[in-house]
Amino acid sequence: MKRIYKILSTILIVIFSTEFIFAAEVNLYTSRHYDTDDALYQEFTNETGIKVNVISGKGKALMQRIRSEGMNSPADVFITVDAANLWKLQKDGLFQTLSSKKIINTIPKNLRGPENQWVAIAKRARVIFYDPMKISKIQIRNLSYEDLSDSKWKGKIAIRSSNNVYNQSLVASLISNHGVEETENWAKQFVSNFSRKPQGNDRAQIIAVANGETEIAIANSYYIGLMLSGKKGQKQKKAAEKVSMHFPSQSGRGTHINISGAGVLKNAPNSLNASKFIEFLISNKAQKHIIDNTYEYSVLSDVKPNQIMSQFGTDFKEDQTSVSEYGEFNPEAVRLMDRAGWK
Amino acid sequence: MISKINSLDLWKIVPVIIFIIFVSPVAIVLSSLFGEFSKNWLHLIEYVLSGYILNSLILVLGVSIITLVVGVGTAWLISNYKFTGKRFFEWALILPLAVPPYILAYTFTGLFDAYGSANNLVRDLFSLQDSYIFFPSFRNIYGAIIVFSFTLYPYVYLASRMAFLNQSKSIIEIGKVLGLNKIKLFFKLALPMIRPAVIGGLMLVIMETLSDFGAVDHFAIETFTTGIFRTWYGMYDLQTAMQLSSLLLIFIVFFIFIEKYSRKNISYTAKSSVYGEVKLIGVFGVNNILCFAACALPLFIGFILPIIELLNWTYNYKLEFFSGAFIQNSFNTIYLGLITALICSAVALIINFSIRFTKNKFLSFLSSSLTIGYGIPGIILAIGVMKLLTFLDSNILSYYFNIVLTGSIIGLIIAYIIKSYALSSSVIDSGYQRIGSNMDDVAITLKNSGFKLLGRVHFPLLKTSFLTSILLVISEVIKELPATLILRPFNFDTLAVSTYIYASEERMFEAAAPAMAIVLVGLVPIIFLTRTIRESRPGSQIKN
Repeated sequence: MKRIYKILSTILIVIFSTEFIFAAEVNLYTSRHYDTDDALYQEFTNETGIKVNVISGKGKALMQRIRSEGMNSPADVFITVDAANLWKLQKDGLFQTLSSKKIINTIPKNLRGPENQWVAIAKRARVIFYDPMKISKIQIRNLSYEDLSDSKWKGKIAIRSSNNVYNQSLVASLISNHGVEETENWAKQFVSNFSRKPQGNDRAQIIAVANGETEIAIANSYYIGLMLSGKKGQKQKKAAEKVSMHFPSQSGRGTHINISGAGVLKNAPNSLNASKFIEFLISNKAQKHIIDNTYEYSVLSDVKPNQIMSQFGTDFKEDQTSVSEYGEFNPEAVRLMDRAGWK
Repeated sequence: MISKINSLDLWKIVPVIIFIIFVSPVAIVLSSLFGEFSKNWLHLIEYVLSGYILNSLILVLGVSIITLVVGVGTAWLISNYKFTGKRFFEWALILPLAVPPYILAYTFTGLFDAYGSANNLVRDLFSLQDSYIFFPSFRNIYGAIIVFSFTLYPYVYLASRMAFLNQSKSIIEIGKVLGLNKIKLFFKLALPMIRPAVIGGLMLVIMETLSDFGAVDHFAIETFTTGIFRTWYGMYDLQTAMQLSSLLLIFIVFFIFIEKYSRKNISYTAKSSVYGEVKLIGVFGVNNILCFAACALPLFIGFILPIIELLNWTYNYKLEFFSGAFIQNSFNTIYLGLITALICSAVALIINFSIRFTKNKFLSFLSSSLTIGYGIPGIILAIGVMKLLTFLDSNILSYYFNIVLTGSIIGLIIAYIIKSYALSSSVIDSGYQRIGSNMDDVAITLKNSGFKLLGRVHFPLLKTSFLTSILLVISEVIKELPATLILRPFNFDTLAVSTYIYASEERMFEAAAPAMAIVLVGLVPIIFLTRTIRESRPGSQIKN
């Protein structure tokens, strides 16, 4: 028995010795996973001496961890790639109001949460990709999301599964503007126009257009940037070159926008550092870093999109539907897509 | 000195305490059934639930059939025939165990999508047009059946192989004398005798299939698990999601009890110890080729093919393999695997010993309830663990000790143990099945009881099972993803986590290096495993 105790206590010591405590630190829970973000956090540490501790994971799971940890939660900052998650955390009272004047003065009002509890750190548009050999500029001009329920698109549309949060947000924004009934009718028609069972990620939809499997696809804007950059290999670059990009609903509400956003948590043990960290993320330098690596759009008007992205246009009209609505209507959107048979 | 009565009590108390800790996360998940049922249930029942159930059933049925045919079939060939490559296949057939289903799913889409490497290769070889598609898409339920079958069949193969090795040769000989032909021998004698072992392996396969999220999500198939996540992530309804997983568990418990009931009162331990040397039958010509092909095919689909594709990605994108982070992640992975495996196997050994020693029905019930932990989707299990830890932190530990368990490695280890107890327990249980109970009686008569009986008599006999259990748990922990993702401490990555981080953005090429590493690290325990099995043959044990 003595030996068993010895072994057990050694194991315990080893386990706890891996926990280090740093004087100046900020604890980040994030559902953004980009390698280049790590370089960004390192830059922040170099500038301020504040160490960034990171846990990355699925948004909802991290939120559950924050909730479960309660008062004991070490989390300072939460970053997520979808506005709906920010709305939910705020609704559950887990964020604190951002006090930094610098943050509030830099970020326009429509990119801040109610009561300044969170701010956007990058934007992405949900756009239409099409094959210019099959669809003319005139045909696509003024095309809106709503138009995609028209039967002339039968068998011509590719989009990923309704499990995906970008699609859930898009449908939530439609519900917010047209109500459930009208959106459901739209969704049923839209689904009947699919060229194939929803599959793969956004990039797979763009490739389907390039390969002629479908005529138009809905996907997030930055994927085309990643593909054109050649970072994903020559095959993807070639595929992307065959495809054109269209900003939907330019003559109507504007193109659907989603954000990556950040907020400081209510029980944050290092709230001052957290504030500094978010100030850093929205600085010109960090914004430039983000858009050059992920091909998203900056939240600062004076930071222009990366060259690869600016060829598609820089001043498109954005849908002003409040991003908080996405969260509110998200559960309804999911049920609606179930009813419409959107797999 | 501990008196005899006290030591008997100790064997009742210790396991119960261990159990309260480990079963409570499972109980927390199940307790959701006593909570309110939200309106989302109406929606689920009306629109999607039947689809989830149907797809899950098709998946389980398909995977069961293929793993049984492949697992038992190859084990039978290896155990009875001598053909080209037999010595190689004997251990190589376990290799797919190192490939997690989600990685096989990623590589299969990389290979067989319309513009995947396999289709590109065919087009290049025969200079066909770009629109020509030779291989069909794998992104459907049949693809998922293949993915699960060929990564999980080793559980059935292992169980059958061990059982065939321990099967009393004399019974088979008698069958032959009585004029049974090869096929009848297999179906009438060999197969019924190894039934409990095979079903034990099959249960593991079924539970893993039902709890998997990565592969089915990648193929966009609506199963019970994807439904659980959709309900939680999309409808913000964690309560309903936990109720859905509880239903899944009840389903699994139902299976377990049917299986237990059906083998009640039947002893599968060979009473006589006449094993004799296993004489292998030589096969030649066409039969030799058929035997070779039957063993090569599962190995090819489950291991060689994904490795080729991962190598292809690694090579084409000139990835840096041995960066500092990479080495750190590998270290974390192995370290967690080892600790968990030791604790988990020790727990399984103590529990199974206690059940045998005290014949406690309640303990045996508890052991079964921990077994179903394997069938809980990792992330739902993680929520149970998280709730347990925060309860302990805020009610006990922060008062008496200055320790916070939440966000420490302890949480991860508890989750892994719950997730892999089924593996340990099934191996150790089948080890115990082979130790005749008269052995205990003799030992007790000789005043060897409690710890002494376990340490001096059982442990030496169970060494093989114990080692097998350790190795299986390590290979499980290396692959585990969802619970790791949510329970881990700051700045703590494992190989599975870094694979996921790339793969979640479908940056498959960058995921190739850590994915390869998972397979390579997973190979180490598996290679040991093969040695262990060879030595587990009764004949070879007598020699040492």
